[in-house]
Amino acid sequence: MTSPTTVQNSQVQKKQRKYSPLKEFWKSFKKQKAALLASIFIGLLIVVAIIGPYIAPYDPFEPDYDALLEGPSASHLAGTDEYGRDIFSRLIVGAKISLMVSFSAVFLGLILGTILGLISGYFGGWIDKVIMRSCDVLFSFPDLLLAIAIVALLGPGINNVIIAVMIFSVPSFARLVRGATLNAKENVYVEAAQSMGASHVRVLWKHIFPETISELIIFVTMRIGTAILAASGLSFLGLGASPEMPEWGVMLSSGRDYLGTSSHVVIMPGIAIFLTVLAFNLIGDGLRDVLDPKIKNN
Amino acid sequence: MTEHVLRVSDLETSFMRDKTEIKILRGVNFSIRKGEILGLVGESGSGKSLTSLSIMQLFHGTTGKIVKGSIYFNGEDLTKMSESEIRKIRGKQMAMIFQEPMTSLNPVLKIGKQLMEAIEMHLKLPKSESKHHAIQMLKSVGIGRAEEIIHEYPHQLSGGMRQRVMIAMAMACHPNLLIADEPTTALDVTIQAQILELMKKLKEENETAILLITHDLGVVAEMCDKVVVMYAGQVVEEADVFELFASPKHPYTKGLIASVPKIGDKKEVLDSINGHVPSPQNMPKGCKFAPRCNQVMSICQEESPPTVEISATRQCSCWLYAKKDVEVNA
Amino acid sequence: MPNSILKVENLKKSFQVAGGLFQKSQHVNAVIDVSFEIEEGTTFSLVGESGCGKSTTGRLITRLIAPTSGSIVVDGKEIATAKQSELKHLRQTVQMIFQDPYASLNPRMKVKELVGEPLEIHTKLSKDEREKLVLEMLEVVGLNAEHADRYAHEFSGGQRQRLGIARALITKPKLIIADEPVSALDVSIQSQILNLLKQLQQEFKISYLFISHDLSVVEHISHYIGVMYLGTIVEIGRKETIFNNPKHPYTQALIASVPIADPTLRKKKKVLIGDIPNPKNPPSGCTFHTRCPFASDICKQAIPQMRKINEEQSVACHFVN
Repeated sequence: MTSPTTVQNSQVQKKQRKYSPLKEFWKSFKKQKAALLASIFIGLLIVVAIIGPYIAPYDPFEPDYDALLEGPSASHLAGTDEYGRDIFSRLIVGAKISLMVSFSAVFLGLILGTILGLISGYFGGWIDKVIMRSCDVLFSFPDLLLAIAIVALLGPGINNVIIAVMIFSVPSFARLVRGATLNAKENVYVEAAQSMGASHVRVLWKHIFPETISELIIFVTMRIGTAILAASGLSFLGLGASPEMPEWGVMLSSGRDYLGTSSHVVIMPGIAIFLTVLAFNLIGDGLRDVLDPKIKNN
Repeated sequence: MTEHVLRVSDLETSFMRDKTEIKILRGVNFSIRKGEILGLVGESGSGKSLTSLSIMQLFHGTTGKIVKGSIYFNGEDLTKMSESEIRKIRGKQMAMIFQEPMTSLNPVLKIGKQLMEAIEMHLKLPKSESKHHAIQMLKSVGIGRAEEIIHEYPHQLSGGMRQRVMIAMAMACHPNLLIADEPTTALDVTIQAQILELMKKLKEENETAILLITHDLGVVAEMCDKVVVMYAGQVVEEADVFELFASPKHPYTKGLIASVPKIGDKKEVLDSINGHVPSPQNMPKGCKFAPRCNQVMSICQEESPPTVEISATRQCSCWLYAKKDVEVNA
Repeated sequence: MPNSILKVENLKKSFQVAGGLFQKSQHVNAVIDVSFEIEEGTTFSLVGESGCGKSTTGRLITRLIAPTSGSIVVDGKEIATAKQSELKHLRQTVQMIFQDPYASLNPRMKVKELVGEPLEIHTKLSKDEREKLVLEMLEVVGLNAEHADRYAHEFSGGQRQRLGIARALITKPKLIIADEPVSALDVSIQSQILNLLKQLQQEFKISYLFISHDLSVVEHISHYIGVMYLGTIVEIGRKETIFNNPKHPYTQALIASVPIADPTLRKKKKVLIGDIPNPKNPPSGCTFHTRCPFASDICKQAIPQMRKINEEQSVACHFVN
């Protein structure tokens, strides 16, 4: 590195390829049009969920007995329900509940499942067997049935819905992370870290966990969709949010009786649930195309 | 003078990446005669493997494409042939063996079945005869228990055995040309010695021309008649094997030969070539070897060197010799 | 007598291999009986073909896996039976260089984190102090400071192996175990790395346990050599003696099999017949008897003992006196 030409060369090279993982990601994600559109939708939904109470045109709890079961119109964009409450306002305020429930349930499930999956995959042996067999037991119940059983045991209420949805998320996360861990464990640099004297926690956190992140991100987005569906389902069955709350599942449930006469009462929250779940799944698909190492290598 | 089995002339092959063309082979020239072993030597990124794939026209699934040049096989230009015409030649008159025999054998088919398929397809023999022929081929590559092996699956064989099977398969139709891409790199030394001996024996018996692609100069010195040294997609030197090792001309060849540790050599510090092979996207202007060359001149960084004929059997692409030429002429 | 940095005696490792659906699980003896010693500042090489147990021996000495029996004394301390928690000192004294410089560097870490990782594990240095040492070490292995902020995939194979060496060197170890450190590299790069390893040995008085299948490389870099075949050392001694006067038929065959990069030395070779036996099902007696041109009845029955035949050479063969 003494001659001036080589120094110049390497500087040029440095400028040319300043590598940034985030930039790379954005470059490929931009090409996923559907996922991009879905992300914008979810982004807006999150904003709406946060500032909902301030932008809702009507008070979502205020009955208006002069306007019962009115169809969509200029004054009531999504019509009104059986108590004359503005459905559009209720959907806006309800977005917060639906998102909060699904986000926190999935987030808790993610943490617990990841820890279990890492331990299971990394250490193997009896601890792996115990964790995986327990997961198998949970897997053998259909998702919603399991959630119903858990809420039945804990009693109805929004917090218990979160716990129920979390519990049925844990095994899927654990299994996913275990698989990724088994793969990551084979990397020579993991052995290199061990030979350097790195502790198990360090190896897991620094060298193995990062390998699972991309798969986790994909799965989390998909899982949020499922969680919204499950939470709404539980509420629909009367096991979740209390009947007066503007939760989407509750709205669906209470509108059921008017399906024949004023179908918009059911259709509007139905559309909200449908679009949100679809959007999360589209994002998940898009992320998979960008992030999944199995697809990326082809 | 026997005729050329294969003559590659001014071959250029490119890959497409993100709609830009990346040139990997930039004008490759060489030829092989009947019964000759030509060594194609180079480091990773030199384009030696792509040369063999270009000859076989095996670009399946990749964006590789021959952009320019011709490949004359028995006098006919392969680049002008249709896919179906080439398929008739491939496997019959021209066969290839790869570095890792496991990936080129079908794991779910028995050895005998795979061999017989190749024989039936190209030699049009009836089933009973093709089985006999298959066993004969396996015996000729030194597999004693050939009758048993045909009923076994590839994973039941050792690496050396698999490579023998691959060679048997390649030789089954008595090809004019055998392309061997790093055939012994994945094998242990004692097994490598066996396989090299086998290839020599088969060449002598059948007068097959062999294109031996390798990074191992030891293998080249043991096996080849003629050597082509490649660097960054170009041939930098071509010579008879004895001439090449006795007096390498191109600075890259010199460096390469000097960097190999030799048993019995008392040298404390090995010679080495500075730097590393440039990537195809970042090729230097002028001579591609100039940034690593210890005899670099100013002209090397500006213009690609011409190919200079040093003697009837030797060629070298380097300004060192071109310059002398100019001086002599002047 | 110079100090011994590593002394291995009667090392043995057997793995349990899960059987198929209706088969019992088997024991495979990867390392059957290995003993050798490395003096301070010297290079000892283990050579052999695939399945001979050379890499397993290396991993036993770093205690990435635990030996079945035998003794490993590193720098005066017995570590064969030490618990994982007691090995911290060992991890600092013994470092490893791996074959594949692509795979042994975490692609998500920058060079300064990669090379500095052993310091992070073993010392209480601050981030700045660590970085300073990393930069110094990069210079030592022939890289420079501007490389510190890059990721491993931005380097060529030879440069990556330099990073691997820098990482191994940064805790100032006394012994480096190098498992096929140059076999993934091109020849011209290989010689750069071999020269660097030699130069570092002189500069820092490190000992190497060099594991390789390439006899030319081994001959260049070693002071002492152990030739392994199916889990045992069959011949051991000073490099010059082994190469000039190999006694064991396997050593002889191995040396003769190496292609020599000089066409004028071409000769008809004595090619060793047969394949390397499967370690799951090793031959009786001397494990080499299935391929040995001199094998007789005693070789099929009795395991030959390692015997010292002169000051510089020991051989395990019934027919060598």
